Amino acid sequence: MKQVTTLLVFLALMALPALAFAGPCDDLSPAHKKVVDAVFASEYPYDGCDETFATCLKSTPVHPLVTRLADWMCQKAATGADEATLKRSLERRGLSMMRPGKTYEISQKNAAIAGCLKSPVEVTIYACARCPYCSKLIPEIYKEATTGQLAGKVKLIFKPFPIKSHKYSTEANQALQAAIDLNRGWEFLLAMYAKFDGFSLDRLTNLAIEAGLDKAAFADMSAKKEVREHLVEAKKEGLRNGVEATPTFFINGRRFLGDLDSLTLVDCILEEGMQ
Amino acid sequence: MKSLIRDTLVVLLLSGLVAVAVNLFRPNPLPWVADQDYETMVPCPEPLGEVDEITVESDIILDDRTLLIDAREKDEFELGSVPKAVSVPFDWLDPVPEEKVAELVKTRAARVVVFGDGLDPDSGRELARELAGRGMRNVSFVKGGAKALFEAGLGTTGGAP
Repeated sequence: MKQVTTLLVFLALMALPALAFAGPCDDLSPAHKKVVDAVFASEYPYDGCDETFATCLKSTPVHPLVTRLADWMCQKAATGADEATLKRSLERRGLSMMRPGKTYEISQKNAAIAGCLKSPVEVTIYACARCPYCSKLIPEIYKEATTGQLAGKVKLIFKPFPIKSHKYSTEANQALQAAIDLNRGWEFLLAMYAKFDGFSLDRLTNLAIEAGLDKAAFADMSAKKEVREHLVEAKKEGLRNGVEATPTFFINGRRFLGDLDSLTLVDCILEEGMQ
Repeated sequence: MKSLIRDTLVVLLLSGLVAVAVNLFRPNPLPWVADQDYETMVPCPEPLGEVDEITVESDIILDDRTLLIDAREKDEFELGSVPKAVSVPFDWLDPVPEEKVAELVKTRAARVVVFGDGLDPDSGRELARELAGRGMRNVSFVKGGAKALFEAGLGTTGGAP
């Protein structure tokens, strides 16, 4: 009996490393695995290996980018992405990440900055303070950049891009720009996104206080003509850079065309850091 | 009447059976019950429409059936513009007021030509795209804006962009 127990413990210990290295592709259901296998059989990584994923994954050693892309596709498949969606996502990711891509001029003046200020990876986000989609995605990216997988690896630059069809867009983005000019842009933005649904103009002052701003200083700054000018400048820069919807991301000045979900964005930012 | 109802039911039933059979043979059949939430949130686009870029040589600029719009600031317009142009100053943050759009639509012009400051980004192009996105048809903008029009000699006397 004692020998059997010892054997079982031994086997369990042997299995531990295997469990530790189990990647996203090992946990897929048979249906999702089938989808991924079909993509791996026909698609090529945009860099790192010249064969299909299926062949590249069998080579030794496997290129780190190939492993990264395969894991990412498995995670996407696990969320229900079908074969066509995965292929499209891979193509768009390639267009975003391949160098040399066109780089756009982005000023960091009058912008909200967060994350690692000295990071070689700079991610710029153009977004509207009243964009519902942004209110979900941007706090996730901020969390990753400050305390999550991207902590210490990325500098996040936020620039307001008011969308005219959003109700209170000008007022909300002007208040945000005032907070940015007072160096509390991210705090104000996150407070505003956290209470997105209950937004009204008379809540702006409370949001500013929540963001750690002095009520009088916020009121003074909001009344300044320069705030509107900074906001117009941010919008013009976005238009020059081809922004037509929010959120729009740029990674090191290259426009990000990939899927706008935190899984893809975080993975692409990590990939950029590998370069 | 009775046979019509019966035939309708038969067609509906057969259509349903065909749909179920096709779904059964799909590589990724649609689930009977959604197994995950559908993503209803989408990125927010600016409500812009398609516009054509034209040059100062284009005949349509001075055509009688064209509504010519000057997108520059009011004071710039007053300093000098192009004959018959109406002033609709473009605002980078706020949309064109609803009543202004209605007023422009009422002119029943065959086409709309907008010119602006000609800079990058060009206020003329942006206003043209906004008007097209608000339902106006046949909207173009002049490449180079007011500066190009003035250089081509199309501006009013004394006017400068």
